[in-house]
Parts: sequence; structure tokens; C-alpha cells
Amino acid sequence: MDYIAQGFIRSIDLLLAGDPETYSAIFTTLRISSLSIIASLIIGIPLGFLLGYFEFPGKRQVRAVVDTLLALPTVVVGLFVYAFISRRGPCGELGLLFTIPGIAVAQTILITPIVISLTATAIESLDRRLQATLVALGARGRQILLTSLMEARYAVLVAAVTAYGRAISEVGVSMMIGGNIKWHTRTITTAIALETGKGDFAVGMALGIVLLTLALVVNSSLTLLKKRS
Amino acid sequence: MPMHPLYQIKNLKYRYGQYFELDVPELTIEQGASIGFAGSNGSGKSTLLRLLAFIDVPEEGDIRFDGAVVTKNNGGSKRDVTMLLQEPYLLKRSVFENVAFGLKVRGDRKDLKGRVYGAMELVGMSPGAFARRRWHELSGGEAQRIALASRLVLRPKVLILDEPTASVDQQSARLIKEAIIECRSRFGISLIIASHDRVWLNSATDTVKRIHEGRIVGTGVENILLGPWNDEGNGLYAKRLADGQGIFVTRPPHITAAGVVSPSDIVISVLEPDGISTRNILHGIVTHMTMERDSGDILIEVDTGGLSLLSRLTPSAVQSLHLVPGKEVWALFKASAVDWY
Repeated sequence: MDYIAQGFIRSIDLLLAGDPETYSAIFTTLRISSLSIIASLIIGIPLGFLLGYFEFPGKRQVRAVVDTLLALPTVVVGLFVYAFISRRGPCGELGLLFTIPGIAVAQTILITPIVISLTATAIESLDRRLQATLVALGARGRQILLTSLMEARYAVLVAAVTAYGRAISEVGVSMMIGGNIKWHTRTITTAIALETGKGDFAVGMALGIVLLTLALVVNSSLTLLKKRS
Repeated sequence: MPMHPLYQIKNLKYRYGQYFELDVPELTIEQGASIGFAGSNGSGKSTLLRLLAFIDVPEEGDIRFDGAVVTKNNGGSKRDVTMLLQEPYLLKRSVFENVAFGLKVRGDRKDLKGRVYGAMELVGMSPGAFARRRWHELSGGEAQRIALASRLVLRPKVLILDEPTASVDQQSARLIKEAIIECRSRFGISLIIASHDRVWLNSATDTVKRIHEGRIVGTGVENILLGPWNDEGNGLYAKRLADGQGIFVTRPPHITAAGVVSPSDIVISVLEPDGISTRNILHGIVTHMTMERDSGDILIEVDTGGLSLLSRLTPSAVQSLHLVPGKEVWALFKASAVDWY
């Protein structure tokens, strides 16, 4: 048991001392997750809105596919993206394999269904009186759509926060597409996997503490947002 | 001011619920009118109002507004009409932003603050105390009044109110009435109101029309007696009220027909009548009293085992019977006084 306690104490030292290797993994994680969340919101919010707001033939089937993609295994996403961006793949020329943008692309694929599905649910859950109220007050076309999205803003933020939580905590995509390259594509999760394998619990724990803190912040904001919505 | 028709409805049909259909062969509402629609839940009042507010589009027939047939794309005139829903929905923003919303979507920002504050004062809400409040920091009655203010600020040609007093306290009901009556006299707004609170409706509007199962079944302040009617023999048909009292009628055209009794045909007694020929002697409590604006008579609302009956009495009769809300009375009318629709 001593090595766990010692590892914990050393992990605090590493964080307080600003260990460059540890912080490199932290900043890489933040860069990748920021890129992927921005891309997934740009793609996911309009699609989720369309899916939740409008009735069209095949809507239920589309919804079923999107909901299925919520449980997309990270290694499957990793596999497909790897196949596409590896030198032999159709997008090989882009040189995305083992790069931060490459991981961000794969994470975007992983978390966009979350944004779409939860945004659609948020829009579907809007009060039925909203539409009649907006019409009665004279809102038209685009004004009705934008105001409806504004009314669902807290629930849409919940979608964003949930997706972000998935992005920072996934390991499969980062490992397969990033290659866990030190100072370059090593993220918190891949570093923890590696350091634990090596038996260096201190670095693993230090990064674990950061990951848990991030998860705590994400979850607290989720709770707060759910209360407001 | 010469009257001209604001709404002209012909052969309007619209299905609502699983079984009912709104069917209005003809209806004209004049500019500046204040008209009430009374009827029970599910009678079709809200459906008619939503059609008049252009929220829904008729399946058959047409609605002319200001002389022009209203179509789905005829957006201009639709902004002249605004509706307050039965349960108001406030946007998730401040009270000020809620009231200002309709003006903003019209791009009309001239003296925005002054007009928003004016509308709030009209419904008895102090701008200083309420303008910055969030949507969820209001009581039911306050929310209803803010929703009303957000319509009044638009100075519409027509203000449509669906059960505006259904979920508010008495003070809010009074303030709502005062606000709409004042707006009507100051800005010439036409009012179309649906309510099952007949006394309130009667005091807020000039005329009341009754709706039953999707059809307009009468005009004025009338008592509607709904079936089904059981054959009691000797030409009498009866319906039992919740407290076991019976209503007796003669010759309904079918067992679910709606009967109508004029309030003038309902006699009030403060003692239990005995040895009289009148078939309907219903024990009840006076719940509301209001003066009829045109006649000066008093309308007494009596709750008899869940059915409320209106009786029209002269002020002197009310005085001599010492009628006050809460007093125990008997409402009497002949079985043959019931007309059928």
C-alpha cells in the first residue's frame, strides 16, 4: 500500500512543481478537446435543432441512428479514422495521423452524435405553448427558430458539457490516432495508461487528479445548468 | 364611429380532439366589439380563438379579417391580432425583455423602455419592482399579467384572451379586466374572450356567445344544461347532478342535446318552496353577484351541486331577499322553460 501513498504525495509535488511533462499532457488534452468541442457544436447544434424541430419522413429512423451513435466505441472510431487518414487511406495526403488535428477530427466524430441527440431532445422538450406564444407576439420564420433555440439554451449547454466530458476522458481515439507521442500528442488519458503500465504511479496519479478535477468542474456545471433549464 | 366587420367567418370547420369538430356556419365580429365565448372545457372555445388568432388555419371555410381572406402566408394582418393563452408562457428572460419581445421582433424600438413600462403599469405591475425580475420569479397571477402586458404593448387591433382568469387570484382577475377595458376605450382594441367564469366574462364583454360541442348555441347570458337525459316517463327527462339533485326537462331532441334556460326564467327563493308546480327546485349557494351593464339588473350565480345557474333579478328583488354571496337559496324553473339547440 505504501507505493500508492508515496505515489500520491509525489503526484502532488509534480503538480505543484509544474512538471513540464505532466503539464504538456494537460495542455495537449485541453487543446484537442477544445478543437473537437467547437467543431462538434458547429456541426451538431444546427443538425440537432433540425432533427428536434421539424417533422419529416424518416425522422424516427434518423433519430434511432443518432441515438445508436451515442454509444460509439472509441476504438471503432479510432479504427475507421485511422484507416482514412493513414498514408494508404483516402485522406492520407492530409498528414493527420499522429497529430493533434487528427485526434480532434476523430473526437469530433465521437462526440457530435451526443450534441445532435441532446440538442434534438432539448428542442423536442420545449414547452408546446412556446410556438403559439411566439406567433401570437408576431415573431416570424427565422425569429421563431432563433428564439426557440434561445429558449432551449440551458439544455443545449448541457449537451455541450456532456460532449466535452466525453472528449476529455476518452482514451481509445487519442491512443490510436495520436500515437501517444511525448511532448506532441500525449494526452492525460494516454499518459495515465502509459505511466501505469510502466509502474510510475506518481505521474499517473497526478494526471488522474487533474482529470478528476476537470470531470468535477464539468459535472458541477452540468448540475447547475440542469437546474436552470 | 361607424362599425365595420372585423372578422367575417363562413362555413368554418376544424377538427379538434378525437371526436369533436368546430363548426361555425357564420359569424361576424365588428370592429371595436367586445365579445365573450362561454362554454365548458372541450367545447371548442380555445380552438375557435386559435383560429381567430391565426395560430391555426381552418380545414374548411374561410375567415376574412378586415375584408381580406386570411391565408397561411398573409403575415401582415396577422400582426394586428394577438392572443393570450390560457396558461401564459413567459420566455426565459427578464420581465422587461418579455414585454419588449413583440416590439423587438417588429423592429419597433422607439421609446421601448417607456412603452414597456407603460404596459406594465397598465396591468398593475410596478416597473421598478418587476422589470428586472426573471421569468420564474413571478406568481401565477403576476405571470398572467406580464403576459397580458406583452400583448397590450403591441396596441393590437384585436386582443384575444383564452380563459384569462382560470389560474389567477381575484385581484389579478380584477386588474386584468380593468386593463383590457381601459385599453379598449383608450386605443379601440377589439376584445375576444373565452372564459367559463360567466360572471367575470359578462362584466368584461358586451355580448356573450355560448359554444357547445363545437357549435355556437346561443347569444347572451344563458344557462346551458348538458345531457345525457334519462327518460323518466310522462314526457319528462332528467339528469342527476353530483349531489343527487335532479334537473327535469321536457322533450329533448336527442338524449345528449344541450338545453338553454334564460336567466330571466330562473326564480330565486330564500325559503324551501313547497306545494308548487315548478318541476326544478335546486338547492344551492349564491357564489357571485354582478350588475348587468345594459339592463341594470343583477345576475346572481348559484352553485347547485356542481352546476352553476345564472338568474336575472331586479335590484329591488335582490334587496328584499337580502341576497349576498354565500347565502343558501333555491333556484326554480319549469321543465318546459328549456329551449333546445
